[in-house]
Amino acid sequence: MASVDLRGLTKRFAALAVVDNVSLRIDHGQLVCLLGPSGCGKTTTLRLIAGFLEPSDGEIHVGDRLVSSKLRTLPPEQRKMSMIFQSYALWPHMTVAENIVYGLRLRKLDRDTIASKLKAILETTKLEILAQRYPGELSGGQQQRVALARALIVEPETLLLDEPLSNLDANLREEMRFEIRRLHDEYRYTTVYVTHDQSEAMTTADLIAVMNGGRIDQLGTPQEIYESPQSEFVARFIGASNVIKATARDQDHIAFAGATLRVTGAKLTPGQTAVVAIRQHDIALALQAPPNPENAVKATVTRQVFLGASRDILVETADGTPLRIVTAPENAVPRGAEVWLTLPPERCRALSR
Amino acid sequence: MKRQTATSMNQPAKVAIKNETSILAHMRKSGARGLATRLDTQPESRAMAMTTIDGTRGRFDWTKPVLWLFAGGLIALVMLPLTWLAVYSVTDKAGHVTLRNFVTLFSNADFLDPLLTTAIIATASAAICCLVAAPMGWLVSRTDMPGRQFIRALVTASFVTPPFLGAVAWELLAAPNSGLLNQLFRVLTGAEADDHLFNIYSLTGIIFVISCYTFPFVFVLVANALDRMPGELEDASAILGGRTWTTARRITIPLALPALVAGSLIAFLQAMTLFGSPAILALPAGFHTMTTKIWSLFQYPPKLELAAAAAVPLLLVTILLLQAQKFILGRRGYSVVGGKYGAPRRVELKKWRWPALAFCLLVLLNPVFLPYGALLNAALSPNATTLVTPATATLHNIVFVFTELSSTQLALKNTVILGTATATIGTVLALVIAYVSTRRVIAGSRLLGFLATAPVAIPGIVLGVGLFLSYTRPPFVLYGTLWILLIAFLTINLPSAYQQLQAAFATIHPELEEASRILGATRLQSLLRITAPLLRTGVIATWCFIFIGVMRELSAAIVLFTSQTKVISVLIYDLNESGDLAAISVLGIAMLAITFAVVLAVNRIPVFGASAGTRLRN
Repeated sequence: MASVDLRGLTKRFAALAVVDNVSLRIDHGQLVCLLGPSGCGKTTTLRLIAGFLEPSDGEIHVGDRLVSSKLRTLPPEQRKMSMIFQSYALWPHMTVAENIVYGLRLRKLDRDTIASKLKAILETTKLEILAQRYPGELSGGQQQRVALARALIVEPETLLLDEPLSNLDANLREEMRFEIRRLHDEYRYTTVYVTHDQSEAMTTADLIAVMNGGRIDQLGTPQEIYESPQSEFVARFIGASNVIKATARDQDHIAFAGATLRVTGAKLTPGQTAVVAIRQHDIALALQAPPNPENAVKATVTRQVFLGASRDILVETADGTPLRIVTAPENAVPRGAEVWLTLPPERCRALSR
Repeated sequence: MKRQTATSMNQPAKVAIKNETSILAHMRKSGARGLATRLDTQPESRAMAMTTIDGTRGRFDWTKPVLWLFAGGLIALVMLPLTWLAVYSVTDKAGHVTLRNFVTLFSNADFLDPLLTTAIIATASAAICCLVAAPMGWLVSRTDMPGRQFIRALVTASFVTPPFLGAVAWELLAAPNSGLLNQLFRVLTGAEADDHLFNIYSLTGIIFVISCYTFPFVFVLVANALDRMPGELEDASAILGGRTWTTARRITIPLALPALVAGSLIAFLQAMTLFGSPAILALPAGFHTMTTKIWSLFQYPPKLELAAAAAVPLLLVTILLLQAQKFILGRRGYSVVGGKYGAPRRVELKKWRWPALAFCLLVLLNPVFLPYGALLNAALSPNATTLVTPATATLHNIVFVFTELSSTQLALKNTVILGTATATIGTVLALVIAYVSTRRVIAGSRLLGFLATAPVAIPGIVLGVGLFLSYTRPPFVLYGTLWILLIAFLTINLPSAYQQLQAAFATIHPELEEASRILGATRLQSLLRITAPLLRTGVIATWCFIFIGVMRELSAAIVLFTSQTKVISVLIYDLNESGDLAAISVLGIAMLAITFAVVLAVNRIPVFGASAGTRLRN
C-alpha cells in the first residue's frame, strides 16, 4: 500500500518559501490534483514528492517509509514512483520500444517478461505500429502516449503527472483526460496530478487541492470545491464568480448597492467587510422589478455580447460595482438599459477568507 | 461543449472557464466519495527522520563528494597562479611588500617603450581588422557575392593558423634580403641587391602580420550578427520609404555595430597578448612588446618580481575589455526582439559581384595564399628562400625533420602525450563542471562555472608566469616536468571546452535525466545511458579542439618548457632562432594538415557553431 503523506512540507529558495507548510494525505489508489496558477508551488510540491528536491522542512511518507525529510532524502530512483513530465522527456536516441522498456531493463527483468509486458502496454496505449519509430517522428499525442506507457509499464506505487496535457491541442487534451482517468481506474496506483486547468482537474481527480502562494488554500472533492469555495481565491480561480465586498449587517445579511442581501456560507460579523461570491450564471436578470423583492438589486447594462448558446452581460450597480452575468441568449438588453438582478440567497456564498 | 474566456475586471483573465453544464458533466461523483483523506496541520515529530529512512540499502550517493573534489581542484587550478602572481608583483627580492616593481614598470624606459609599442600594435591591428573584416562579413552574410561559402572556409583557415606560423611564413615572404616578395621586386625592377620593398622586421610589419591572423575574430562576430538579423527589419525600413543605402546606414549598420565593437575589443586583446609573432618579428628588429619583455625577464638573470608586475597590466586590461565586450553584446536594445522571422534577404550587387569577390580574395591572399605558398615552397625547396621548380623539388627536408632532427622526436612525443592527456582530462573536467552548472547539482555551481570561464581573461604569458611562480616551490615542484605544461594547457583550454559542453548540455532538457531517475536509474546510470549518448558528438568535438589548442599554444609554454619538455610550438620557435626555416615549414604544414582534418571532421557536427566565437589562442 502506498499512501502519500506530506507533513508540514516546506521548500525555501533563498528566503522565499515556494512551498509553505503543506500537509496532505493521499490514500492508496486515490487521484489528487494539485490545482493552481503558475508560481503557486504545485510543481515544486510534485518535485519534492519525486525526490528531485530536498525539503527545507517537513516530511514526506510513502506507505510506512519516510522518504524525504530535512535531514535525508531518498533519491528518486529508490521511490518506486513514475512520473510524466510536461515535456514528456522522451529520449531522442532511443526508439519508442526502447524508451518504454528502459525501466524494466533497470529492474533486470528477463527478456521474455519484458517482451510480453511491452506487448501489453503497446496494446493498451495503441502504439503497436510505432514501436520502432524514434520520438522525433511522432506527433504530440503519440509522444504523450509513449510517456504514459513508459511510466506505467514499471507498475509504480505512485504516479506523478506534471501538467501532462499542456502541450496538446484542445481536442486531444479532452480525450487524454478521460484516458488518464481510465488507466488510473484500471491500475489503481496513487496518483498526484499537477495542473493549472480546472476542467482537467474536475475530470480526473478524486480530490482537488487548490494551491495559492505555496499553501493549500482548499482541499475537497471537485463538487465541494466548485459549490462551496471557502476563499476569495478559490471562488475566483474555480469557475466564474463575481466577488462582492460589502458591509455585514448581521450574521447572514450584507448591505449592497442600496439593498440588503441575504447570504449563506461563513457567519459574518456585523459592521465588518464581508466578501461574497456569486457565479455569473446564478444571477437572474429581469427588465421589471421582480415580484419577490428579496435579494433584488437595480443595475445598468454597460456591455453585452451574444455568444451563441448564451449571452454575456456586464452591468454596474448603483454603487459602481461591476457584475458579470451569463444568461440565456433571448435576454437581449441594450447597453444603458436599467435591469433588475436577483441574487438567490442560497447562491450568495460568504467567504471565510 | 463550448468554452469561453473570462476577461471582465472581476475575473482573473487567464482562467479558462466552462459554463455550468459542461462542468457538471465533468464532475465525477464516484471518486469523490472516499473522503478518508485528511488535512494535517501538525507535522509529526521530526525525530522520525533520524531513524526510519529505509530502502537506501546502504547505498551512498558518491556524486556529491566527487563533485566537491572537482570544485576544489578547479579553484586551485585557477586561483593558485593568480595568487602567486599578485604576491610576487608586490614583493621585492628580499620578500618585503613594496610597490617598487610597479614604479619601475611605469618609469623606466625599458618598460615604458614596450608598453607604448604594445598599445600602438594593439590599436592599429584592431582598427585594420575592423576595416577589413566588417565589409567582408557583410558581403558574405548579406549579399549575393559568388563563392560565399568558399570565403568563409578561407577565413576559418586563417582562424586556425597558429599566428607564430604565419609570422615565420611572412619572414619567408618579406624579410628584407631573402624574402620571396623582395626578390621578385628586385627581379621586376632591376633594383640594387640590398634594396627591398617590404621589411617584415618592423612595427608596420608586425601590425600587418598580427592583423592577418586576428581579423577572423571580428569577421566571425560581425558575420554571425548579420546572419541572425532578420530580413524583415530591412524590409520594414524599405516599405517606409528607405532606399537601399538609407536602410543600410540607418538599420543594418547600427544593428551590426555592437558586434563590430565587441570584435574590435577581442582583436585588441589578441594583438596585445600575442607572444609568437612579436617574438619572431620584433626581436630581430631590436624592440620589445610587453609579452616579449616579460619573456626576456625570465632569461638569466631572472627578474621574476618584475615579470609578475609586468603581467598585471595585461591581466587587468584583458578583464576590463572582456567586461566591456560582454556589456556591449549584452545590451538589450540591440538584441533582435519578437516573433518569427524569415531568412535574411540578400542585397543584389549586380555588376559589383565579381569585384567584391576579388576584394575578399585579395584580402585573403595575406593570411592564407601567400603564407601557405611560402611554407610549401620552403618545405620542398633545397633552400628555404629560393623558389622551387620541378627540377629542384626535394623531399630532403621532410625526411630530415622526421628522421634526423633529434629534437623533433622528443617534441612530437611530448606534444602527443600532452595533447592526449590535456584533451582527455580537460574534456572530463569541462563535462563535470558543465553538468554541475547547468543542472545546479551542488550549491555554488554558478561560482564553478565562473571559475571555469575565468582563464579566458588570463593571457597565456601571464598564466605562464603565474604557473612558473606557483610550481617552482614546495609543495608543488613541477617545473621541468610535463605536469606544469599539462596544467597550463588545461587552464588555457578549459573556458572554450566548458562553453562548448555547457551549450551542449543546455540542449538536453533536464527532464530527460529525471525521467530516467524516477524509473529507477541512479544518477550515474542516467548519465551513462541517457546523457552521454546525447552528448557524444559534443564531447568528441571538444576533445579535438583541446588537442588542436595544445598543439598551437606557445605563449605559456615558452616560459614553462625545459630542454626535456619541449613541445612542437616551442621547437618551431627554437628552429626560427637557429634559422632553420625549412624544418619549420615541414612541421607547420604537418600541424596545419592535422588541424584542418579535425576542423573538417568536426565542422559536420553542429556543436562547432558554439566554438566559433570562443577564443583560440597561441
